[in-house]
Amino acid sequence: MGRTTRRSAGATSTPSGASTPPSSLSSSPPSKPLFPTISLRSSSPSSGSGTESHPHVSARSSLINVLTKPRHQFPITAASHSQATTTAHYDDASMYNNRNGNSTDEDSLYSDQSTISSYASSIVSGSTSGREMSKEDIALVYKDYLEKPFVQIKSNIKHSEFGHCNNPNWRWTSQYNTSEPIHLEEEPRPSYYVLMSTYFSYLLLIVMGHVRDFFGKRFRPAAYSHLMPQNGYAALNSDFDSFYTRRLKQRLDDCFARPVTGVAGRSIVLYDRTSSDQNLTFTRTGSTTRALNVSSYNYLGFASSSGGCADAAEMSIRKYGVSSAGNRHDASTLDLHQQTEKLVAKFVGAEASMVVSMGYATNSTTIPALVDRGCLVISDEFNHASIRAGVRFSGASMRWYKHNDMKVLEELLREVISQGQPRTHRPWKKILVIVEGLYSMEGTLVNLPALMELKKRYKFYLYVDEAHSIGAMGPNGRGVCDYFGIDPREIDILMGTFTKSFGAAGGYIAGSKEVVDRLRIRSHASCYAEVISPPVLTQIIASMGSIMGIAPPLAAPAEDDKSDGLSISSRPTVYGPASASILPPWLSLPPNLLNGTEGRERLRRIAFNARYLSSGLRKLGFIVYGNRDSPIIPLLIYQPGKMAWFSRMMAERFGPDMTPIVVVVVAYPATPLITSRVRFCLSASHTKNDIDMVLRACDEVGDVLDLKYKKQTMTVEEVIANAEELVAASHIE
Amino acid sequence: MASYSPPVQTLASSPIPQFAEIPAPLIPLLTFLSSVWITCQNLFHHIPGSPILLRYIRSSYQNDPWRSALEVLLVAFALRTILMGRTRGEGEGKNFVKLTEKEIDELVDDFTPQPLVDAPSAADTFTLQSVPVIHGPNGTKVKTSPHGKTLMNMAIPNWSGFVESDKMKEIAIDTLREYGVGTCGPSGFYGTIDVHTKLEEDLASFLNTEAAIIYAQTFALVSSVIPAFAKRGDIIVADRGVNFAIHKGLQISRSQIKWYAHGDMKDLERVLQNVERERKRKGGKLTKKFIVAEGIFENDGMMLDLPKVLELKKKYKYRLILDECMSFGMIGQHGRGLSEYYGIPASEVDILLGSMATGLSTGGGFCAGSKVVCSHQRINSSASVFSASLPAMLATTASAAIEALTYQPALMSSLQANVQIFRQQLSKLEPVYTQTPPTSSDGTVPSASTLMPPPPVQNKDAIISIPSHPASGLIHIFLLNPPPTLEEEERLLQEVVDEAMATSSLLITRARRLRGQEIFEPEPSLKICISGAFSKKEVEKAGQGLRHALIKVCGSELGGSFGLTTKSEADPNWDYAERR
Repeated sequence: MGRTTRRSAGATSTPSGASTPPSSLSSSPPSKPLFPTISLRSSSPSSGSGTESHPHVSARSSLINVLTKPRHQFPITAASHSQATTTAHYDDASMYNNRNGNSTDEDSLYSDQSTISSYASSIVSGSTSGREMSKEDIALVYKDYLEKPFVQIKSNIKHSEFGHCNNPNWRWTSQYNTSEPIHLEEEPRPSYYVLMSTYFSYLLLIVMGHVRDFFGKRFRPAAYSHLMPQNGYAALNSDFDSFYTRRLKQRLDDCFARPVTGVAGRSIVLYDRTSSDQNLTFTRTGSTTRALNVSSYNYLGFASSSGGCADAAEMSIRKYGVSSAGNRHDASTLDLHQQTEKLVAKFVGAEASMVVSMGYATNSTTIPALVDRGCLVISDEFNHASIRAGVRFSGASMRWYKHNDMKVLEELLREVISQGQPRTHRPWKKILVIVEGLYSMEGTLVNLPALMELKKRYKFYLYVDEAHSIGAMGPNGRGVCDYFGIDPREIDILMGTFTKSFGAAGGYIAGSKEVVDRLRIRSHASCYAEVISPPVLTQIIASMGSIMGIAPPLAAPAEDDKSDGLSISSRPTVYGPASASILPPWLSLPPNLLNGTEGRERLRRIAFNARYLSSGLRKLGFIVYGNRDSPIIPLLIYQPGKMAWFSRMMAERFGPDMTPIVVVVVAYPATPLITSRVRFCLSASHTKNDIDMVLRACDEVGDVLDLKYKKQTMTVEEVIANAEELVAASHIE
Repeated sequence: MASYSPPVQTLASSPIPQFAEIPAPLIPLLTFLSSVWITCQNLFHHIPGSPILLRYIRSSYQNDPWRSALEVLLVAFALRTILMGRTRGEGEGKNFVKLTEKEIDELVDDFTPQPLVDAPSAADTFTLQSVPVIHGPNGTKVKTSPHGKTLMNMAIPNWSGFVESDKMKEIAIDTLREYGVGTCGPSGFYGTIDVHTKLEEDLASFLNTEAAIIYAQTFALVSSVIPAFAKRGDIIVADRGVNFAIHKGLQISRSQIKWYAHGDMKDLERVLQNVERERKRKGGKLTKKFIVAEGIFENDGMMLDLPKVLELKKKYKYRLILDECMSFGMIGQHGRGLSEYYGIPASEVDILLGSMATGLSTGGGFCAGSKVVCSHQRINSSASVFSASLPAMLATTASAAIEALTYQPALMSSLQANVQIFRQQLSKLEPVYTQTPPTSSDGTVPSASTLMPPPPVQNKDAIISIPSHPASGLIHIFLLNPPPTLEEEERLLQEVVDEAMATSSLLITRARRLRGQEIFEPEPSLKICISGAFSKKEVEKAGQGLRHALIKVCGSELGGSFGLTTKSEADPNWDYAERR
């Protein structure tokens, strides 16, 4: 291909040795020889697997990445930058080189962290000096990994809650790239052996469970008393209904509901616990473990006990107290609620919005206010339980369509419109299609462009649940509309939650003023549910405000907006900074939050992290679902027995760095029976080193548990060294 | 059984009859067919295990042709099931009308849906306009405009004055500095923080139940716990006066629902007997049976006769789901709710629901009960499984509030004292004067009769009725002689609210309803929440203010000035007939 690896330039400008990873650091088993990282640095074509799997870099995606880098780096490399943009149109490779030239300059600028991230290289640059590090050495280096950054950084945010990662190369812009499919036509499937053994595992579990129930009921009736009728009372739980919980889930209960303490930020503190009765009860040992957290929905890292948002929340507690009690329509609506609603409306680009004190209840109390008997709700089969609850509350009819399949949806639409209501064949009063922006178990994005086409033709109303995508997707963090460049005003109802990206609680409904006003009257929550408490509202205002930036005091992001504007010239211009008048007058935010730089930095970091891990895991041979820009990354496990082991082995690492990682494993009923999976939720608070660590850990565990169901095309150290290329590549498989 | 039939020619060995006269043009075709047949046969014999299959089919066919037919059907059914899409529903039923693509296109073009929301009616606009907005902190004294006058707030549940508690603020700030604001995860996935566990333990030990489980919102709690236990085929006997959240929970439980008259224990027993009789008549298997009621009813402030309900529940083997969202933190010597008021252990109630948002002025709700009841919800109650857990600061402040309730009985006694003062002020407008309210502290348990709304006795001054229990901090005021339509009545009540605000700086509210969505439309009423944080003088002044406002607005509207003959006295049936 004639394309030199990006490190070739780096080797000349950085002191050799400093960035060379010690080759003994690999944790891969001896049977798999460590890919010599050196060969990556030399431009020799010997790196067979590397050349063959060279990520294809489209000019456009690289260009976007170059242009969306923070502006302050350009003065140094202005010449090469302009060169890059001009050559990019002609030659990918040369452009690539130039970009690499850029980044190495930046590396020397940001010498605190080398771009080559391998075990301890960034920490001990200079001190390793080619000496092979033993396992103990690495463990020692990583002893305080989660709490102390490798370099001294002045910040009022704890490293354990929000990692410091200054390298501007490790940024990306989350944006729809037309050359990348929104979702794959066909889900990757494992071999039949895996499928058969999965079914067999479940069969075995079910048979074993019934055998145990059979004997248990006869020999230990006391333990089964709640499942059997007793003195005239029917059993509270039918043993059939609870069979799955008792006989399957309980086996891996040590992986669920682990008690934690502190902030669910970049790392989290777990209480250690043991069980002596097969997970029926747990006893805490009294010790705690701090672990890397890739499980919480803390997409933008706003879950924090320190920093500007926490300070604002404290101010708010002092001023407003903890609670406003009561419901919205009595006397519990505060000025703070109205300010939040105005800000949320501005944020999502809608006319008006309404906030509700719980995310689940936002769906379950609003949908009944929109549809009733005689209306039809068409719902994606993987929609969240709260949507199902809402539709059941409403009494409307419900039809499902295959996840994200727009052809099936169109067929269904044609069918329901032409057939009308069952029996009477009267036309439906209205048809409401409910989709999620980002599916929390699949990591897939809704095919919004196609859906908007269908909407024009079939005249249904569209309800987009952005619980996971708001804040986490799109160049401005405004969710899927922003990601796809679709005017949010074309969508009838935008729903989202504050629990995830904003580190708060509750949810919102946004839409036209007419719709929101109507919902205020008809929504169950406005009459009968408690309001959001003031500190939570303040957290929402502060975090949302810092993503948008507040005009006019420091309108710094305006220029940056233009650079985004290149690729989004067709975008509606609704995503501007918030005007200072919306914010409560007593609220004071630090300048980095006010001018939006902090928020934009976070958006770019999560975009990079998400794309990096998703691409890296694919390269390692795992089956990964979902869009590569999604911060939710499901890694397929299939066999139920491996789930618990994956979770345990990640929590008790045997890799040299010994840093525990907590993951979420999900299985039936949250997923289809056979596709049990582990779900990573990435965050802007993770550093690239953290992602490296997750990749290494997955590699270790994946080898032991035989989880690499597809062909591995890169070793883990290769993946880590090529992080930026992987992220920039528009095709990975 | 083996009626011997002559050996049937099996499929495998059926030769083409040679003797038949075959028309000449068919011969090549038949030779081709037979050669194909023989090739297939050879191929089939090459498959390992094919003789066994063949023998099996042959023997089963010979012995029992019906069985073969059944098997073929089964295979066909299995194939159909496999081939049928997962998400194709009722599509191809009897009712399905086959249409051409062109017809469908036309129908699609013709389809004109109703607007997503109806245009707001006059009532809607009126409702929205009458929502007060509090500027600054909420509490006993509030402002509804930035520079407006200070109002006494009797519209929010703030029984013990926790809304303004400085101690709770300090605790919230400490929690913030350790835990941040949100938990960023459902309780199953690293959202179970130690403060949640502690609050659950605190609640369980406060109420003296085995366990408790907390939810992030009260409304979601109530509407989710009921369907977590009551399933299709189960029987629920519910009070007609239960709140909206319970209605919703009942609706999606898909159980069989029987209503009994609000607060009428005799009717409850009648319904229970009916159910029992029907069950005996029909037989069938034992199903779960629940009684659903509220401690203090959210819709009118009445109190449940808990001892009687418990007696009936035990007699007829029901489980009791008791919604104490209003009574928890308001009733009883320490605010433990109805169980404390009646001196009954809370563990007698199978599933006890309560609210931290109203009772403790923080947020969320809880369910207390046995360990089995609580652990069942952790995986089976959808609002618990599928939602993020409660913010840590709302949990720690709730724990602090429980501690305060445990060690400061004065909180409850001052609330009770304030309720008495307020009720005395209003009793002059009621049909019968309220007697001194019974208190639980001296151990006297009121009889069931005092729980019933007082019978309308001729009282010339009466313009309102207050069915709310004398000990209830939540007071609903109903008009005795309301105007003919609900909307007019709402407007009249709003006038009272406005008048109270204008002349006596008192902020109250009329009970907000979801008109058109409720199962039984509740009568319009004024809703007053008394707080123990008010001084006696303030409560007295508020009571007087409200009384004057009521007299001014309702007295004049309903038959001239106050004290004169009202319409109902002139014609007792007037009101009834009009409202029908």
